[in-house]
Amino acid sequence: MDRKPEVIELERRETPGKLQGLEDNLRLPAVAPGGDFPIEKLVSEARQQTHAVGQRATRSDCRTHGLGQTKYIADLALPGMLHAKIKRAGIASAHITRIDTAAAEAMPGVMAVLIGRDIPVNSFGPSIQDQPLLAHERVFHAGDGVAAVAAVTEQLAADAIEKIAVTYEPMPAVFDPMAAMRDDAPKVHPPNSNIYTTKRIAKGDVAKAFKESYLTLEGRFCTQMVEHASMEPHAAIADWDANGRLTIWSTLGRINLGRADIARTLKLPLNRIRVIGTIVGGNFGGKNEITQEPILALLAKKSGRPVRGIFTRDEEFTATTTRHPFVMEYSTGVSREGHILARTVRLIIDGGAYCSWTETTLGKASILAAGPYRIPNLLIEAFAVYTNKTMTGAMRGFGAPQVCFAYESHMDDIANALGIDPLDIRLRNAFEEGSESPTGQTLHSVVIKDSLLKAAQQFGWREARP
Amino acid sequence: MKRRGRGIACMWYPIGFTVSANPSAATVMVNEDGTATVLTGTVETGQGSLTVLAQIAAEALGTSTEDIHVVSADTDATPMDTGAIASRTTYVTGNAIRMAADNAKAILFEAAAQVLGVEPGQLEARDRNIQVKGFPHRKIAIGEAAKRCQLVLGRPPIGTASWNPPTVAMDPDTGQGKPFSTYVYATQIAEVDVDDETGEVEVIRVVAAHDCGTPVNPMLVEGQIEGGIAMGVGFALQEEILFDAAGTQVNPNLANYILPTTLDMPKIEVHIVESYDPTGPFGAKGVGRADLGADGSGHPQRDL
Repeated sequence: MDRKPEVIELERRETPGKLQGLEDNLRLPAVAPGGDFPIEKLVSEARQQTHAVGQRATRSDCRTHGLGQTKYIADLALPGMLHAKIKRAGIASAHITRIDTAAAEAMPGVMAVLIGRDIPVNSFGPSIQDQPLLAHERVFHAGDGVAAVAAVTEQLAADAIEKIAVTYEPMPAVFDPMAAMRDDAPKVHPPNSNIYTTKRIAKGDVAKAFKESYLTLEGRFCTQMVEHASMEPHAAIADWDANGRLTIWSTLGRINLGRADIARTLKLPLNRIRVIGTIVGGNFGGKNEITQEPILALLAKKSGRPVRGIFTRDEEFTATTTRHPFVMEYSTGVSREGHILARTVRLIIDGGAYCSWTETTLGKASILAAGPYRIPNLLIEAFAVYTNKTMTGAMRGFGAPQVCFAYESHMDDIANALGIDPLDIRLRNAFEEGSESPTGQTLHSVVIKDSLLKAAQQFGWREARP
Repeated sequence: MKRRGRGIACMWYPIGFTVSANPSAATVMVNEDGTATVLTGTVETGQGSLTVLAQIAAEALGTSTEDIHVVSADTDATPMDTGAIASRTTYVTGNAIRMAADNAKAILFEAAAQVLGVEPGQLEARDRNIQVKGFPHRKIAIGEAAKRCQLVLGRPPIGTASWNPPTVAMDPDTGQGKPFSTYVYATQIAEVDVDDETGEVEVIRVVAAHDCGTPVNPMLVEGQIEGGIAMGVGFALQEEILFDAAGTQVNPNLANYILPTTLDMPKIEVHIVESYDPTGPFGAKGVGRADLGADGSGHPQRDL
């Protein structure tokens, strides 16, 4: 709020009694000043064209973004709102033998404390519901939440989770997906196998085609775990009304699935939950499922106050989904002219502690793994493996960037071995209109060769090598 | 010594979910002045999807982007949508909005046909008017038609529709099937400098040629591709979450996990490859996740 300098100076010098005679026009405004932005706007020509498709129309939200008026969760506040913090395990695999919240609950300003036992249905996940909202009895990776606090300030909530004492009994853990595939590896979710999803795509006769190949090349490729690193972290506010209806403002990118998961974990009918997806400061696949929303709802229910939770950058890395590390083994048989006759691909993907969107990632990666090429004989086998690491999930491309790195590096090796230009070997094998995909689908509007030629022409590929 | 290298990579990427249904529903409500409100359950996550969806509704109604207001992402007010995931918004939500706009337009045509003395089938929406095909001077303003829908027909011009991309389940043993309705294609070529003593790689230039079907908004397509290349540079050269022997992350912060900044970015040239997908809204497919895959390097690395 703007405070007039004259008033600040008077308040500093004078006793409160002396301020009573102050001139009215020097007093603080009764209403906080509004946002400092112009209401009248100029509309770009592209937004006014009546053939709207194909126009370089400026964004409908560009003014609110540009003027700093977009309201993200961190900009929203409700009267009496509390702030939530989640205590993280910090140990990758353990039994929880005891959680003592008494000291935190006794702190002035701490309004509610929650542990896994308090959650009506403490599990979620888009295909396998293997993830607890707050770990209870068992910790599966170091970023698992074990307790949550709502307090009158964010700092107080952060102090309170430090006062919660959790006793762990460490358990065997496995971090390498190749090791996790072995029969004698510690099971992440006993009694289930660590290999929790597999995919297979097969067509033609691979063995025969390899025999007939002029040359067979092999390659092994690995990619690392990365994080979406959206500018806005996962954030939400939960608020109950007097009818027992719950409103959640959230950074979720999928509000209908989010509402279904919230309803399931809280055992509430869907029509008593309203989910409002706020403008999100970056998703990239990382905000496609619930994280803390039911926890905030239960803290709000316990305290009778709205509760807001905003993940720290540390939590963004350690307690939300990341990109799957891949191990990719390729073997390709080619003719002397560089036509691909046969290819086998084996994918092992590190799923981390929970399934999340791994099922989808494994599926897309398998379908795309052979590359955009006509390959008559193909065998793709893919495995998703649990480890006691941060869970991996949806991230821009669902496995496509990983396999693209592999099949394109492999393609360069093939071109090199045959002495063929990397552009030519791609043109020689690329899909055409009506080509059959690895899954036997007839492809339409295929422009891969156009894109190869366009990029090569614009780059100057055919001109002298650098 | 610095050595100059180049690398080419191409890729393909599907639009929508793998086999499983991922529908979008939408409602388009035309106001009495010819402007319109669109209800959609999808979420704007920074990519500009609400602008693209407004353009699709505007094209269907013969109005401009500025004439459309999009209300999104409120389970109390907006119809079911699978959401901002799997590069599906332009293609799937876009199709639902185009169909909902067509349904609203059919009511407008009914009202306009009475005034113009023709059959509704003879009409088209263009330049904020409803006009007789081949006789553009015989027309009434969309706002006028919308008013008549309310006051004469007694049926406000509101259209609702849903769409789901057609797929065929995959055989569990062979994977044969039609998991996706459509795919996009792209090529990127990178020019890099590699220091052969330190191993430092600097990306000098990236030329990208992408297919997205009809580019509903070429500026936003370019933005997606440029952002994807930034993420690709980070993935290929800079970013990695590291764990200690106990399975705890050692660099969970932006001081030690090194994201590319604008200063790390190469010169980028984006080219949109001409393409039209008859199954998409006005030929559009999508671009959201397709932009990251191809990031070639002159010296292929075995281990990212």
